[in-house]
Amino acid sequence: MSTPVIEVDDVWVRLRGHTVLEGVSLVVYPGEFYAIIGPNGGGKTTLLKVILSLLAPSRGVVRILGSTEARMRKDLGYVPQFRTFDFDYPITVREMVLSGRLGHIARRPRRYDEKDHARTEEALDTMHIADLADRQIRDLSGGEQQRAIIARALVGDPKVLLLDEPTVYVDAPTAAQFYGILDGLRDRMAIVLVTHDIGVIPEHVTRVACLNRRLYTHGTNEITADMLEAAYHCPVDLIAHGVPHRVFSEHSREE
Amino acid sequence: MSLLEILGYEFFRNALAAGMLASVACGIIGTYVVVRRMVSVSGGISHAAFGGIGLGYFLGIDPLLGATGFTVAAALGMGALQLRARQQMDTLIGAVWAAGMAIGILFVYLTPGFAPDLFSYLFGNILLVPRGDILLMAVLVIIIVAVVAYFYRELQAVTFDPDYATVMNLPVERLSLLLLVLIALTVVMLIRVVGIILVIALLTLPAAISRLYTSRIRNMMLLAVALGIIFTVTGIWLSYLVNVPSGATIILVSTLAYAGALGVERLRQGD
Repeated sequence: MSTPVIEVDDVWVRLRGHTVLEGVSLVVYPGEFYAIIGPNGGGKTTLLKVILSLLAPSRGVVRILGSTEARMRKDLGYVPQFRTFDFDYPITVREMVLSGRLGHIARRPRRYDEKDHARTEEALDTMHIADLADRQIRDLSGGEQQRAIIARALVGDPKVLLLDEPTVYVDAPTAAQFYGILDGLRDRMAIVLVTHDIGVIPEHVTRVACLNRRLYTHGTNEITADMLEAAYHCPVDLIAHGVPHRVFSEHSREE
Repeated sequence: MSLLEILGYEFFRNALAAGMLASVACGIIGTYVVVRRMVSVSGGISHAAFGGIGLGYFLGIDPLLGATGFTVAAALGMGALQLRARQQMDTLIGAVWAAGMAIGILFVYLTPGFAPDLFSYLFGNILLVPRGDILLMAVLVIIIVAVVAYFYRELQAVTFDPDYATVMNLPVERLSLLLLVLIALTVVMLIRVVGIILVIALLTLPAAISRLYTSRIRNMMLLAVALGIIFTVTGIWLSYLVNVPSGATIILVSTLAYAGALGVERLRQGD
């Protein structure tokens, strides 16, 4: 098999006296669509931040394309959880997407060239937001904003797209359309998706893991009852016929 | 007296020059302050400047020169503490704010004799700006414009989404500190115009109004500069006509314009 794009090797994270990640290991290969599900507070965003070197693990290493250097993260496309930045910021969709090229510009002062503009128009087309390019981001709907954020990640020619709860703020039909677009990107990059909502795992995923401090996976695209029980600490019913990976949980009231 | 007649006086031309130079700096840097929501940080930095004024008196140098060094140091210290020690920013702001004023008071007390124009550093007196200060302000404006032009893309990325800028391997820490230094330099320029206590209003109001009518950083800066010039010139002229303090007049003109702009905006959205 080819070189993994991401290798997480026995990563531990302790924050303010709490163990957030405990011996997490995971490997993502090119072309994969990897879904990580888990309850809120289970360490999903923390894991992404460790992969992006935004947070240093207390133990363990992360390799991107075989290298442990933090600079390698420029080859990762990061789609942060929606409201992590200020949507009132005066910036147009095109400017925001263009800014995703900054990591690849070597000349000083950093100025955009023809190629940067061309890649931007391409990404706008891919995400079906070319007609919104001159609008301010605050004037877009939730789904449109989300596509703009992904377009920004795409212009950096990432080897992996990391998505943190991408469908929290969009309705179900928009989410379905959105997963269709993601599926179309898989010949160019691997995709890692984290979400707390086990109902939205798209049918295209190639591997699934459950994360709640520890990572539970069978290395397949099946979510099994034991994985979910381990991650959620409560009995979960799994319905897998007809609609694969469509999961409904029945939570006990122990919390 | 008409505007043309009083233009014949050198002190008045100096005042206008100082007001315009200050407006350029506040339009550009104030834009970042508003979009990055750094208004209270800027308040802390500007009050810390009083420590530098006191230091300048104590050392017998131009108080504005003392304020430049001291304010830049305070801004860098605040930024470094926030980045390294992960201290809560609002607590840091409070500490720097009060400590800067306290240091200024001690130095002024320790300086033998009477501190001339101390009052004008607190409340501004643009009609008394000496030629040398205008030269200093012009140098600062050139530095600010050149640095922002060079790092325009980077500053946009860092003020918009610092996490993503980090992932793109931009030097986010250094750029954040650079922005704090630029705020410090701008504050120093504004001290002559409106005084330490009122700096924050002139730094933020033109940019805040401009934000209502622009959708891009560059346009927001240009409009904020133009508004700043209008407010300072109007304020200087009014204060001269009515013979009231210039700094306070400029601030009140700006505040009225801000209130008016917000009111018009509400009416427009009501339609």
